[in-house]
Amino acid sequence: MKRVVLTAIAVLLAVLFTCALPSSAAPPAPAATTPPTSPAVPTGSAPAPAPTRAPGIPATLRVGTEGVYPPFSYHDEKTNKLTGFDIEYMDALAAKLGTKVEYVETPWDAMFAALETDRFDLVANQVTYNEERAALYDLSEPYIETTGVIVVRDGDDSIKSLADLKGKRAAENLTSNWAEVAKNAGATIVGVDAMALAIDNLRQGRVDVVVNDKLAIQNYLATRPDPGVKVVAETDDTSRSVFAARKGSGYMPSINKAINELQADGTTKRIYDKYFTPKAQAPSRWDLVRDNAWPMLRQLIKVTIPLTFISFAIGLVLALLVALGRMSPNPVLSNLARFYISVIRGTPLLVQLFIIFYGLPEFGVKIDPFPAAVIALSLNVAGYAAEVIRAAIQSLPKGQWEAAETIGMNRVTTLRRIIIPQAARTAVPPLSNTLISLLKDTSLTSVILVVDLLRQAQIAAAPSLQFFTMYLMAAVYYYLACLVLSFIQSRTEVRLNRFVAS
Amino acid sequence: MTDHTPRPDHSTTDGGSVAPPTAARGIPLVAVDHLAKSFGAHEVLKDISFTVEPGTVTCVIGPSGSGKTTLLRSLDALEIPDAGVVRVGDCTVDFGEIHPGPKRRLDRRTRELLATLRSKSGMVFQAHNLFAHRTVLQNLLEGPVVVQGEPVAQATERARRLLDEVGLSAHVDKYPFQLSGGQQQRVGIARALALRPQVVLFDEPTSALDPELVGEVLGVMKTLAAEGWTMVVVTHELRFARQVADQVLFIDEGLVVERGTPEQVIGDPQQARTKAFLRRIMEPI
Ligand SMILES: Nc1ncnc2c1ncn2[C@@H]1O[C@H](COP(=O)(O)OP(=O)(O)O)[C@@H](O)[C@H]1O
Ligand SMILES: [Mg+2]
Repeated sequence: MKRVVLTAIAVLLAVLFTCALPSSAAPPAPAATTPPTSPAVPTGSAPAPAPTRAPGIPATLRVGTEGVYPPFSYHDEKTNKLTGFDIEYMDALAAKLGTKVEYVETPWDAMFAALETDRFDLVANQVTYNEERAALYDLSEPYIETTGVIVVRDGDDSIKSLADLKGKRAAENLTSNWAEVAKNAGATIVGVDAMALAIDNLRQGRVDVVVNDKLAIQNYLATRPDPGVKVVAETDDTSRSVFAARKGSGYMPSINKAINELQADGTTKRIYDKYFTPKAQAPSRWDLVRDNAWPMLRQLIKVTIPLTFISFAIGLVLALLVALGRMSPNPVLSNLARFYISVIRGTPLLVQLFIIFYGLPEFGVKIDPFPAAVIALSLNVAGYAAEVIRAAIQSLPKGQWEAAETIGMNRVTTLRRIIIPQAARTAVPPLSNTLISLLKDTSLTSVILVVDLLRQAQIAAAPSLQFFTMYLMAAVYYYLACLVLSFIQSRTEVRLNRFVAS
Repeated sequence: MTDHTPRPDHSTTDGGSVAPPTAARGIPLVAVDHLAKSFGAHEVLKDISFTVEPGTVTCVIGPSGSGKTTLLRSLDALEIPDAGVVRVGDCTVDFGEIHPGPKRRLDRRTRELLATLRSKSGMVFQAHNLFAHRTVLQNLLEGPVVVQGEPVAQATERARRLLDEVGLSAHVDKYPFQLSGGQQQRVGIARALALRPQVVLFDEPTSALDPELVGEVLGVMKTLAAEGWTMVVVTHELRFARQVADQVLFIDEGLVVERGTPEQVIGDPQQARTKAFLRRIMEPI
């Protein structure tokens, strides 16, 4: 058994290191494309430093941003600090507004749900202006303008402009503006989570085309030695990036004024040049692995493992109560427990997480990411473990209850001292399965802003868009953690089996 | 929730003693009066009355399904009869006044009363029902220490003596699965005695045993009878009943068909049903 495990680890590590080798030496940097569309032209106003807070702006402005969308919002490979065009721009804006910024990293698909439920006040993440958004949110004036580009595989000549997209498959971020553009051009949309994945799908021939932000694509192509894809055209319409706040925020007059001031004093230009000059070379995979080994291990130890164990412990207690309810002679109780189990087992965990984090605030209950994750995961564990516990308890002979009753034990004491310790023996193997699944399920909590191991991998992958390497590394970490759990399981089983004949 | 069993004052009891509690002779220790119990439409106990004198052994015999187990469980309130009165020592329960609700819930006062009744007797099950996850010694301590709050040292001392008495001193730290069937049943007996009951109830204590192990269990029971424990024993061991019993009850179809000394009931049965039953037992083929 031990040998099999060791071999498995060795194979996994070998695969990882192979992938981690530098993909090629000194790749030629692609020729710089024409300078991007100039940022929004402001109506000049005198640049005035803002020694005091601008009207209508809170003392701390909580700002939602992806953190995995280079070069706009991502973590620096070396320092691991949140940075990017939108971040530096936001910092400059905040200085003008005389306020402090607190960033809340949120996946794009949850961005507006999080804004509406007051997880933050403002979105700084290349939000593109459109009519629907303007109707729903307070939008600022544009702080940067760009066009879209049409990207196809090298050697594909069938697409030359938007008009050729009819009947083609396009990989797009579902809630992004570019999905809309591709759809209107007649393409079938294949939803992906990130631009890098869209390009991967394109390169692998799963889709025919990608329409995306010119700056983002340029940045991506600049960091890849051999992208395998090419830009064939620009879209006609420009996309204007704006800040978004909840309706009625009252921020926009001050923000618009500050945007104009940044334009006038050259700050916009300076930040722009910093991020949209093509970079020389992407970091090697090996560098990435080395630089992120500790940050990922840290998130495993600090977030993923505590989340797993806390949720499991609370979940087990709830599961016991649900199991007891299920076995209760009281029909109301037993049906309630039955209903609970069927709801938990019949709905996706992802949806449960969303409801607790983004749904409850609609009713005035706002819970922070980590506790919300603990609540959702414990409730989930309770639904699954309740049936395991019930089966284990019911598999014990009735005589155990009766023997306890004749020596005068009440039911609670009997449960605690006689029934549960014996039921544990039968329940441990299936419950260990639940625990191991739970460890991996914690990776879903990144959608509710928990920075767990997987999210850390995404953050690490974003600047260089090396998702494969970082996900593989995350897989190794998850696997090692699961091995430890399996080891604990077998030790526990030995301990619990001491009172039965082998 | 609390344990309802009254806690004895341990400071005044002789911690080391494993002798049976003394009771005044002449007044029955157990009195069962017009007990009746049905499961649905099935009248298992129709009308059962008898008494048990302190320090005596009562053997209950009867065909399978005649209600012997139900009767014994009623004495220990594991079963709630529909009517009739059970008295053990100074605790009297009139089951006619106890009506479990539709959800089999009893009110608090009733639960306490039943717990008191239960504390008067110790039960030895056919299938021993030892706590599989506890060692032999721990099985004996569960009641006195956990339920009654007796100091561990004192209870342990007594438990060891009891185990010595049933011949298991060498096995105190073993788990039940490591013992033979006969040894397990002897632990079951010691566990019942550990709570110092006024009467010990045995439900076919040897029926589940291999024949060669029956003797060691009956031997222990004989010793207990000689020491003066009051015992009610459901059994098919007629030789044991003849040697040890002070009174024998023959039960059939929920009624006490015959009651008397072993010589009367087993040696010279008056009723046709008793005769037929004894014949079936003594000449099975
Ligand atoms: N909990 C119960 N529910 C329904 N019927 C029962 C229950 N317990 C016992 N019985 C029935 O009552 C009858 C007497 O059972 P029991 O007291 O165990 O008889 P004995 O011990 O004399 O063989 C049997 O027919 C049995 O099936
Ligand atoms: Mg029986």
